[in-house]
Amino acid sequence: MSHSSPTNNSTRPDLDESINVTIAHNPSLITPAAAREFSNPGVDKSPLSLATFSLCAVMLIIGGAVLGNTEGSLFSYTNFVKPNYVRGKAPGVTDDAVMPPKAIVDVYVKKGQSLYSAKCNGCHGADAKGDGANFPSLVGSAWVTGPSERFSQVIMNGLQGPTSTGKVYGAGIMPAQGGGMSPQDLAFVMTFVRNSFGNTVGDVITPEMAQAAMDISAKRAKAGSAVTAEELKEHEKDLPGEKMDPATLIDPITLKVVEAKK
Amino acid sequence: MSQETQQTPEQDAILRTAIDRSLRHPVMFFFTSGAAWLAVSLVLGIIASAKMVAPEFLDGCAFLTQGRVFAGHMSVLVYGWGCQAAFGVLIWLVSRLTRQESRASGIILTAGHLWNLFVAIGLIGILAGYGTGVPWLEFPVMVWPVLLVAYALIAIWTMIQFRVRSTGAVYVTQWFAIASLIWFPWVLGTAVLLIFFVGGNALMAAAVAAWFHSGMIYLFFLPCAAAAAYYLAPKVTGHPVHSYSLSLIGFWSLAILGPWAGMQKLAGAPIPYFLPYLGAAATVLLGVPTIAIGYSTLRTMLSDTAKFASSPTLRFTAAGVVCMIILGLAGAFVNLPSSTLQISQFSITAYGMDILAVYGCFSFVMFGAIYFIVPRLTRREWLSKRLIKMHFLFSMYGVIAVASLAVLGGLIHGQGQEDFTHTWDSAAERAYPYLVATLIAWCFVLFSNFFFFMHLLLMWMRLGRRSSHPTLLGHAHLESPHGEEGDIDNAGPGSVIAH
Repeated sequence: MSHSSPTNNSTRPDLDESINVTIAHNPSLITPAAAREFSNPGVDKSPLSLATFSLCAVMLIIGGAVLGNTEGSLFSYTNFVKPNYVRGKAPGVTDDAVMPPKAIVDVYVKKGQSLYSAKCNGCHGADAKGDGANFPSLVGSAWVTGPSERFSQVIMNGLQGPTSTGKVYGAGIMPAQGGGMSPQDLAFVMTFVRNSFGNTVGDVITPEMAQAAMDISAKRAKAGSAVTAEELKEHEKDLPGEKMDPATLIDPITLKVVEAKK
Repeated sequence: MSQETQQTPEQDAILRTAIDRSLRHPVMFFFTSGAAWLAVSLVLGIIASAKMVAPEFLDGCAFLTQGRVFAGHMSVLVYGWGCQAAFGVLIWLVSRLTRQESRASGIILTAGHLWNLFVAIGLIGILAGYGTGVPWLEFPVMVWPVLLVAYALIAIWTMIQFRVRSTGAVYVTQWFAIASLIWFPWVLGTAVLLIFFVGGNALMAAAVAAWFHSGMIYLFFLPCAAAAAYYLAPKVTGHPVHSYSLSLIGFWSLAILGPWAGMQKLAGAPIPYFLPYLGAAATVLLGVPTIAIGYSTLRTMLSDTAKFASSPTLRFTAAGVVCMIILGLAGAFVNLPSSTLQISQFSITAYGMDILAVYGCFSFVMFGAIYFIVPRLTRREWLSKRLIKMHFLFSMYGVIAVASLAVLGGLIHGQGQEDFTHTWDSAAERAYPYLVATLIAWCFVLFSNFFFFMHLLLMWMRLGRRSSHPTLLGHAHLESPHGEEGDIDNAGPGSVIAH
């Protein structure tokens, strides 16, 4: 089988009937390139070389290590979204080098901004000024900047009827926004609205206060329906909970209070 | 190949000539238009690279912004050049190996024109701002169904030829060729269907896109290159494939591992945890088929060192096969979870791996095949060994530079991205010198391919040398600058054994 080439005609008689000289030398039937090709190199059954075998084995070991490195958690569905995910330190970074701490009010305002964009922007607008006809302005609103419990109940339950200025807006009713919010989220968005767009209350709504707001909201007599100006009179007070200094330094990722360096 | 002993060498040569003649127009069309698209892709690649270095370059025109030009560059490289070169080589290989003339060359040629038309429409769509933004699937959505139909019209005849072949052992080239003809529509069709036509979770669409990207490389380009290498190596040297069983290990390990790879690009994304890990492990294990294929083809090519030194086909094919082995090993090196994966994931490493796969591994083997096939189709020999040498050297310099700079530079870039105590700008600054060098390397590649395209165009116009002697690279033919001249009428069977 091995290595027969076009010149290797020694096994055949000289004037083989199958060779037509006219055909064999007619370039329109046989191109030179086709004529000089080897036909059948046959099959080589050399054994696998040790080097190839070893190299393949190395690849298999590395591949196995990749799978083995998952420590049995390959099919664990709790592993791909980690609760309280905190990013690991970069290589070579010591324990001292953490993100620079920031004032709590700045961190909360920044986080609240994205929640505002998702939840409030659609009606109250990017500048929070409403449109004057259907949606009220949040800038300087007495209910926004006043006692925090009243403001929290409007966000949690929505609002029906007249607003703080006594005007009834075209939309008539504000839908409840509390669904899907965690106490932390509520704290972010309240702190943001009370300290942005020209509002300068200067306080921080803590997650404990926001939790209290959610508890109050759940215990309302007419739980589930939007609050009215009448009902809001009961809530004209600040949310319970320890007040925090807005300048308190916290870690912007873990949100934990950072002790001042000595 | 094993059945050819039943006939005399003359009858074999007559049949080969008839097969070559039947395929002349479609295969030459695929090669020449593919080479033209390659030149277009390189021009776009140079513009995209220049914009990475100097963002203000050509910033006056919206259609030349980085996002569009880079997308056009990769799309044309993959679908304009890569797919067309693969189609030309695959239909020729299967016709030769099943020993049948093509009976549908007109339809294949028409479908080839349709393919080119829609690649052009797709490129215009991308530059006009209608790109989809999915990597390697950037053409506007309406292009994809047409490309799949054109593909079906091109490939179905080859499948039929394979189906009605005379009995006998199926040579390993046919395994790879038929597999890549089946895997290509599977990978592309699945991705197009799941990403564009079945509304699903956007995150899973990203995962499917990552799988598709890897599938195109490992299930289409790599088996095409393997098919051609397994045909050319024994054909040119006249020696059998070294350790034939190793080639089947290569095929089956590729078939089993290839479809698992790809999703490691989504490591850290909220998709099921096992998908990135399986993708990473499969990509590492794909080193096994690349080593198996690379080793057995290289050993075969090196079995005749004189031919290895002089044959342009072997020189290009060997370079492509070496790139294939490097691709397999580098794929393992840059995809290790919790060490290299996170620094290669979002950096320019991915681009380097793409170029290594599409230009380094796949295209070099295709160039080797083109240097082998075109003289048979056009009945002319290549005009100049200097042009061939220039094509080889500048392409080789270019691809080594682009791939190594982007892969290694990407790791440095990725380390910069991971270092969150520094700004993002500093990571980009780390990549900057590598990007400058990449730009220069692309210019080398464009230069070489300009000459390749001109050379191929002259061959297509049948302006090649009328000679019975092949154009070889060695110094054996000192009497003529371009190789030995010969009268075509003297070229009976067996008059020269070479090439």
